[in-house]
Amino acid sequence: MPEGLLTSAARPHGMMASIPRTDLGASHEGFLRHRNFRWAKVSLILSLLALLGYALIDAQPRPNGGSPYGYALGTVGVLLILWLTLLGIRKRAMTRGRWSLKAWTSAHVYLGLALVVIATLHTGFQFGWNVHTLAYALMILVVLSGLYGIVAYTRLPRQLGASRSEMTRPQMIDAVMKLDRQLRTAAQPLGHEDARIVQLSLDDKVFAGGLYRRLSGRHDRCKTARALAETRRRLAVSAGEEAQALESVAALLERKSAALARIRHHLRVKALLEIWLWVHVPVTFALIAALAAHIVSVFFYW
Amino acid sequence: MAFLIRTVSHSAEGREIVRTRRVEGERLSVGRDPACDIHLTDLAVALRHVVIERRDDRLKVAVEPGLSVELNGRKASVGQIELGTGGDILIASHALRFMPAAAGSDEIEVAVERTGDAEVKLDKSAERLFTLASVLPGKRGLAWLLALLVLAIGLAWPIKAYYDRREKAETFAKFHADEIWSSGSLSSAHAGLKGNCTACHVKPFEAVRDTACKTCHSKVHDHADPIRLARARPDLGRWRRIELAFKETFDLPPGRCVECHTEHEGKKEMPVTAQRFCADCHGDLRKKLPDTPLPDAGDFGRAHPQFSPVLIAGWSGERPVLKRLPLAGRPQEDSGLKFPHALHLSATSGVAQMARRLGGRYGFGQALECKDCHDPAPDGARFQPVDMEQDCAMCHDLAFDRSGGTLRTLRHGEPAQVVADLRDFYRGRNAARPSVLAPAARRRPGDSPDLRNRIQFARGPGSAERAIRGVFSPGGACWGCHRIDAPLAGSLDFRIRPVAFPLRYLHKGWFDHRAHATQSCSSCHGAERSNAASDLLIPDLGSCRTCHGGEGSSKPVPSSCAMCHDYHMDAGAPSMLIRQRVKGKKRDTAVAQARR
Repeated sequence: MPEGLLTSAARPHGMMASIPRTDLGASHEGFLRHRNFRWAKVSLILSLLALLGYALIDAQPRPNGGSPYGYALGTVGVLLILWLTLLGIRKRAMTRGRWSLKAWTSAHVYLGLALVVIATLHTGFQFGWNVHTLAYALMILVVLSGLYGIVAYTRLPRQLGASRSEMTRPQMIDAVMKLDRQLRTAAQPLGHEDARIVQLSLDDKVFAGGLYRRLSGRHDRCKTARALAETRRRLAVSAGEEAQALESVAALLERKSAALARIRHHLRVKALLEIWLWVHVPVTFALIAALAAHIVSVFFYW
Repeated sequence: MAFLIRTVSHSAEGREIVRTRRVEGERLSVGRDPACDIHLTDLAVALRHVVIERRDDRLKVAVEPGLSVELNGRKASVGQIELGTGGDILIASHALRFMPAAAGSDEIEVAVERTGDAEVKLDKSAERLFTLASVLPGKRGLAWLLALLVLAIGLAWPIKAYYDRREKAETFAKFHADEIWSSGSLSSAHAGLKGNCTACHVKPFEAVRDTACKTCHSKVHDHADPIRLARARPDLGRWRRIELAFKETFDLPPGRCVECHTEHEGKKEMPVTAQRFCADCHGDLRKKLPDTPLPDAGDFGRAHPQFSPVLIAGWSGERPVLKRLPLAGRPQEDSGLKFPHALHLSATSGVAQMARRLGGRYGFGQALECKDCHDPAPDGARFQPVDMEQDCAMCHDLAFDRSGGTLRTLRHGEPAQVVADLRDFYRGRNAARPSVLAPAARRRPGDSPDLRNRIQFARGPGSAERAIRGVFSPGGACWGCHRIDAPLAGSLDFRIRPVAFPLRYLHKGWFDHRAHATQSCSSCHGAERSNAASDLLIPDLGSCRTCHGGEGSSKPVPSSCAMCHDYHMDAGAPSMLIRQRVKGKKRDTAVAQARR
């Protein structure tokens, strides 16, 4: 776990360490290392026990979710899934101590990994185009998104801190707004055509664009960039007062471009940091629904 | 003449601030140029965008060439406003509202107000703008949507399909929604039931019952008397008791067909019944059912009783007495025939020499082999009974005369005809008895001098009776193989004791010779060491165990009970073997290789 994970400056939204900053010091321990990997060990033992049982118990005619051991694994699996889901409620109350939120998160991560072993053995490696495999696939999707989340939380918050060059988010927005005001003033002497170019940049919505732009950080049709290029082109063929005004506009547009790039980089990192939750959380509920269908169907056609 | 210009703006709290000033004259210029009468800072407004001129009771609107305004809601570059009704001009984000004025009024009132927000207003407190929540639908809504979708497709739809089918109101014949509940393909035997879940899953929340199976499998009979079956059940260990409690709780009555015949295991043969399903009861059956004639049987490699073939133990008059006797007691069989296997299979005896001589005609090798006399039955599983004319007569010729080009032979199986033929032959003739009429006379190929001798002997006077007695007596042709009931003195009513062979020795188990074609006959039967026909050449348990072990054995052929025995016993092959043969399954045992 790299240093700095979950320090308060880089603490991502929705996942908070339970210890006040003053207690952190050098001895801060992330949720992955919590109590010297206590839950990693518990999960490892759980997985090994499940594997051992699978190897030793000779289910006939072949390993099957419907054998006694299969039912046992299935029951453990569904209970685990329900408990893991409870983190969504538990995280809203930050407490300390043995059952601290950090301990819960640690257990959530490692037991979630053990769940992969348990559920896979429960399937008996029998897959098909049915509601049972759907539940399994959704579970794998949830776990994979969770794994991504861990990696993201390990690597991205530092970038998030670096990207804003000591500015708060409102300050970043403020900078753009100030530049917009200056642009508006600086463009007043410009002719109608030139003014429209500046207007392009002013109409540029910083937070526009959907998921793709947020995640990719690609803003190929950025209006400010276009306005800047156009202004420079006109600057080359103008003279006198107009050139003076265009020059000051170009300088402002350059500064705005930099400010926008800063915000956009910030947006991208933040999107990468948050996107997994849009898989992890909704798919968890789809998983619980699929589990309900799985269990009811088994008993319906018992 | 003047324009009264009221500039309306809003304070931070939303309060309206109105500043009023007068512009004297008939013309009113509007633009971004500070020199204009109405100065608009919006960059979308040209430096001199529009000029409004008063002409009597109208206002003439003249927009700079190439530009436009919105005049009373319509885009225009020239136009006019009736003073009596007033009108609106929209320039970029600014609205100029000309108030209605009386015909000759001196002042025209104009309200100038910023309508659109030209300034991109960014809510500084909106941390939310930075989060993905601003561009994605809410997680909670998404969760509900996905969960309901899964429940609708994975649960509600199949349940509806079930009730539709019950009400016979199902609409899609090709796809039944409850198929998405299927945990795996049905076995090939039940492939026709695909999509017909209710054939077996008759009632919801009720485990599959035997009645469903018996709808089609109406002729499968019980393994044994249900009461005795129940008595034979093993004592339940701790785990089995837990299993039973579980089954009771979840309505899984034990002993149903589906306990052995598991389904949804993939599109292939139904899996072979596990050994434990048999061994649980048969392992110590005697304890449970002391009166059972069956010995205890479990794992083939460790706990199988010695075979007890059914053989001809003796004769009751003309009828063979069949008895089931354990091989351990080295039972002797009484087929009514004399036959030393060892002599016939020897590579050095006269038999071998004769086989070599006749080899060209009958396909014999350097010595006789089993196949020279034994023919497999058409199904290959067993052998046809030995037939004298077919299987022995190549060597054991019964010729006694030549009539023209045809050899006359004694009729096998009809002693009275033999007597009559010989008597006829000898009528009024006498000769020295040729050596070839000695016991088990063998004809040598191209042996015409012998034939001449026989004819001369036959022509000898008054020897018919002697010849007849000779044929049936020690040293005679019949006596060599058969037991003969001699007649009363003076009579020639010789009778041959009947001969019989069991078609099948092992009635409780199944044995298929085809499956063992890679083995030599002698490796199991050891016929070359048998000097008497009474030797029973059925291989014993130990012989089978050379290759076969129990279900989990490391022997070349791990064999569960089902390989030889069938729960639903009948005379045929166990269903496991039938299935494997019919489906041409790729087998991985020595048995399989033999059949390929």
